[in-house]
Amino acid sequence: MRLVVVILLVVAAGLLAAVPLLGDAVLVQYGINALLVATLAQSWNIIGGFAGYPSFGNSVFFGLGIYGTAIAMTQFGLPFGVGLCLGAALAVLCALLFGLPVLRLRGHYFAIATLGLSFAVAAVISNLEIAGANIGLILPLIRADGMFYELALGLLVACVLCVYAISRSRFGMGLIAIREDEDAAASMGVNTTLYKTAALMIAAFFTSIAGGIHAYWITFIDPASSFDPTLNVRMVIMAMFGGPGTVLGPVFGALVLSAIYEMLASWISTAAALLFGLVIVIAVIFMPRGLADLAVGLRRHGPGYLLQNIRRHRI
Amino acid sequence: MRRALAMFGALPALLLSTALAAADDDVITLGAAVQSSGPQANTGRYYADAYQLAVDTINAKGGVTVAGKTYKLALKLYDNQSDVSLDVRQYVKLITADKVNFLLGPFASNHVLDTSSVAEKYEIPMVQGGGASGQIYSRGYKYIFGTLPPAGDYYGSTIEMMGKLDPKPASVALVAADDSFDVSVAKGTREHLKQAGLDLVVDEKYAENSSDFSSILSVVKSKAPDVILLSGHETEALNFIRQMKSLDVSPKGFYAFTVGVPTEDFRNALGDDANYAFGMTTWLPEESQKDQWFGNAAEFAKVYKDKFGYEPDYHAASAVADVETYAVAIAKAGSLDPKKVRDALASVEFDSLYAHIKYGENGQIVLPQVVIQIQDGKVVPIYATDFLNKPHYPVPGWDDRK
Amino acid sequence: MLLAQIIVNGILLGGLYGLMALGMALVWGVLNIVNLAHGAFVMLGGYAVYFLFTGAGIDPFLALPIAMAIMFAFGYLLQLIVLNQIIRSAQLNTLLITFGLDVVLTYLAQLLFSADFRTISPSYAGANITVLGITIPLARLAAFGIAWLLAAILWFILNRLAFGRSIRATAQNLIAARLYGVNPRQLYAVTFGIGAALAGAAGGLYGIVSHLSPYVGAPLTAKAFVIAVIGGLDNPLSVILAGLVIGIAESLAALYFGPTYANVISFGLLVAILVLRPARSLRAA
Repeated sequence: MRLVVVILLVVAAGLLAAVPLLGDAVLVQYGINALLVATLAQSWNIIGGFAGYPSFGNSVFFGLGIYGTAIAMTQFGLPFGVGLCLGAALAVLCALLFGLPVLRLRGHYFAIATLGLSFAVAAVISNLEIAGANIGLILPLIRADGMFYELALGLLVACVLCVYAISRSRFGMGLIAIREDEDAAASMGVNTTLYKTAALMIAAFFTSIAGGIHAYWITFIDPASSFDPTLNVRMVIMAMFGGPGTVLGPVFGALVLSAIYEMLASWISTAAALLFGLVIVIAVIFMPRGLADLAVGLRRHGPGYLLQNIRRHRI
Repeated sequence: MRRALAMFGALPALLLSTALAAADDDVITLGAAVQSSGPQANTGRYYADAYQLAVDTINAKGGVTVAGKTYKLALKLYDNQSDVSLDVRQYVKLITADKVNFLLGPFASNHVLDTSSVAEKYEIPMVQGGGASGQIYSRGYKYIFGTLPPAGDYYGSTIEMMGKLDPKPASVALVAADDSFDVSVAKGTREHLKQAGLDLVVDEKYAENSSDFSSILSVVKSKAPDVILLSGHETEALNFIRQMKSLDVSPKGFYAFTVGVPTEDFRNALGDDANYAFGMTTWLPEESQKDQWFGNAAEFAKVYKDKFGYEPDYHAASAVADVETYAVAIAKAGSLDPKKVRDALASVEFDSLYAHIKYGENGQIVLPQVVIQIQDGKVVPIYATDFLNKPHYPVPGWDDRK
Repeated sequence: MLLAQIIVNGILLGGLYGLMALGMALVWGVLNIVNLAHGAFVMLGGYAVYFLFTGAGIDPFLALPIAMAIMFAFGYLLQLIVLNQIIRSAQLNTLLITFGLDVVLTYLAQLLFSADFRTISPSYAGANITVLGITIPLARLAAFGIAWLLAAILWFILNRLAFGRSIRATAQNLIAARLYGVNPRQLYAVTFGIGAALAGAAGGLYGIVSHLSPYVGAPLTAKAFVIAVIGGLDNPLSVILAGLVIGIAESLAALYFGPTYANVISFGLLVAILVLRPARSLRAA
C-alpha cells in the first residue's frame, strides 16, 4: 500500500514538473502561485498542525524572505541565491528572537501575538529607507517563469519531504505530544521550548524561501503586498481544509482551494470573492476537520458524515 | 490516490477555462484588468466605463484602418478586485491565453507598477492612464506609456499661482501619504517650493489609508501656515477636510488637494464643507478641447453622463485617451506588430478630448495641471498659465462661512 | 499648547477605539469566538445610521439605538443559525468562518451600497468648542461619552443583573451552567447580538467623525483586536481604558516619531503586553 502511494506521488511530482513544457503560460503563472501557497500551508502545518500552535503571523516570515531577497538584489547587487539566503536568515532569526517569548502563550493569544508581530514588522519596514520605505523596491526584470515554477515545485517537494521526516521522527512525536497536552509532554521530559521554537524556525525557513522566489518573480514589492494579513488566513484555511497534522493534507487543501479560487476568478470574475467566502463558511460547517478527515469519513459513513459533523460540533 | 486524481481533475478544468478562440481576423483586441470591485472600485469604474465607451464610439465611427484594411476594436476586461497579485495573473492571461493585441492599464500606481512588468516581459505595449508615480517610468521600460503626467509636477501650477496671489503666501505645510504616487508628489513639490522661495514649515508623512489626522492637524495649526497642501487618496482628503473643520484648522490663505476635488461623489459626501477647497485636474469638459470621435470634451461629458449616470472626471478622460492613442498609433504603424506599434506610440501626436497627446522620452505624457476650486458646489477652473477665473481667496475660517 | 491638544486628541480617539473593541471583547470572552467580521458589523451599523439619517431624516444620535437594535437582531440570527453549528469544533474554525463571513458581508455591502464613500453629516458634525486653548470636536466628545456610557451599561448588565450572571457563568463553565438551567443556544445568540449592537453603535459614530465605505471594516477589526487583548476580556470598562491608552500612544507617537509609526506602536504594544503579562491572567488554550 505504502509503495503504491509513493510511486503515485513521484509520478505526480514528475507530471507537475513537466507543466512548463506544455507551453501554457497562464497555467505556469497559476502554478507558481499555487505551489508557493502550498509551501506556505505546509510550513504552517509544522507549527500549527503538528505542534498545535496556530500562528496567524507566518506572513512575517514570507515578508522577511521577500525583503531579504529584494534588499540584497537591489541595494547590494547580490545574486538571487544570496538574496534567498539573506531572506531565510532574517526570517529564522526573527523566529528565534520573537518565537521564544511569543511561544509561551497559548491558543488564541498566541494567534493574536503572531498577528500583531506581523503587523508590527510590516509597519517597521514601511519606515525603513533601505527597504524603500512604503513605496517598495523594484527588482531586476527577468523573464523566466519556467525557472520560477521549477523552483517553487522543488521548494514544495523539499518541504513535504521535511514534514514527512518530522512525522516519523522523535521530534515530530514530541510536537504532537505538545499539541495534545503540553503540560503532560513537559512532565514526560519533552523540552517543549526547544521543540516549539525549532518548529517555528523550520516553518520560517520554508516560508521565507517561498517569499524570496515570489519577490524575484513579481519584480515589484511593497509592505502592503508582502505582509498581506489575509495571506495568514488563507494559508491557515488551506492547511485546515486539507487536514492539519497530516503529511499531504495541507498541500492538497492548498492546491484544491487555489484551483477553486482561480476558476471562480476567471469564470465569474466579480463575484469570485463572495463565492470564495461562502465556500469557506460552508466548508467550516460541514467539514471542520478538513479534507483528509472528509475522505475517511465519507468512506466510512457516507454523506451522513456531513450532518454528523454539525451534530457533533453544534450547541 | 483519490485525492491525487481529484487534484488532477482541477488541471484540465483550468485548461479548459482558459482556452479561448484565437483572435478574430478583423478585430483588434485591447485587454485590461481594472478595479470593478474592492476598495478601489470607486475610481476603477471610471476606467471600465470609459474604455467601453471609447471602443464603442470609435467602432461606430468606422473603427481603425490599418494598411488599407478596416478593423473593429474589441475590449477584453477583467475585474482585478483591487487585488494586485490577481491583477498580474490576469494580465498574463490576457497576453497568453486571450491573446489580446495590446494592453490598457489598471487604476493606481501600485497596480500599474506590477502589471507593467508583465507587459514589458512579454514585449506588448501598455498605454495606461491610472498611474503617475515616478517609479513607473524610472525603470527604463520601453513598452509602457502613460497619460497621467509626472506626479512630482502635480503642484507645479498651484505653486506658480501662489506667486501671483495677493496677499502672497509665504509659508506652506505639506502633508503626504507614504505610497508610491504621493511620495513622488511630495518629492517634486519640495523642489518646486524651494525654487519658488516658499517656506516649508510643516513636512509630514502619514501611513496610507489613515483615517485620523488629528495629530497632524494639531501640528499644522500650531505652525499657522498660509497654505496647506495635501497629497493622498480621496478618502484621506475627505477625512482631512472634515477633521479640519472639527478641529477648527484653517490656513490663512488656502488649502489644496491632489485628488478628490474634481470628483462628483467627493463633493456630494462633503456638502457645503467642500466649498473653497482647491484642487487640480488635467482635464475639464471644455468645448475647446476637440476630438475626432467625440466632437469635443463637453459633448463627451454629456454622452458619458447620459450613459452611465455619473459625471466623468479626468480618470475617465485619461482612459478614453488611452484607447484613442491606440487607434491613432496602430493606423500610423500600418501594422499590428507589437514592436512597430510601440515605435508608433513613442512618436504619436494628436488632439484628443483629454489633451494634446504626446509621450515623453520615458513614455509619460507631460501635461500641466489646471488649478480648480469648489465655489458654491461647482468646480471652477482658476489657473492654468494665468488666471481663468477669480479665486475665493483668502479662504474664510470655518466660523466665518455662511 | 500642542502637547495638551495632542493628548486630548488621543483621549477622544481612544474612546471611539474602545467602543469598537467592546463588542469584540464580549464575544471573545464569553463565546471564545474571535470575530474577524467585527469590522464588517461596524460598517453595517454605520450604514444603518446613514440610511436612517439620510432616508428618514432621523438625527444620527437618535438613530443609534435603532441601528443597535437592527444589528442586535442581525447578530442574534447569525449566531443562532450559523455560528452555533460550529461552536464546539476547533477554536481555529471560528476564526476561519468569521473570515469567510467578513468576505461575504463586505461583498454584499458593495453590491447593495456601491463603493461610493458616504459621510454622516448632520449640521453639527464639525462643531467644536475651545477650552483653555484646546479645540475639542463635539462629535468626538459625544462618541467618547457614549463609549463610557455603553461600557458602564454593559458592566452593569454583566455584574448586577441575573441575566448577566448567567452569561458570565456560561463563559466560565458551560456544563455547570447548563445544569443550572441555562439555555446556551439562546444565551450565545443574545450575547453575540449584544456584541453586534455595540459594533453597530461604534459604526454610526465612526460615520459621523470619519466616513463609511464597504471597506472600512478590516483595519477596524485589527484595532479592535489590539484593544480587546490589552484591555482584557473580563471588564468592559478596562476595554475603554485600553482604547484610551492606544489612542494616546498613537497620538504621541505621531507627534514625536511621525504619523507613519502609529501601527508600529499599537502592534508593538500588543505583542509586548501579551508577552510580558503574567501567565495566570491569560485563559488557557
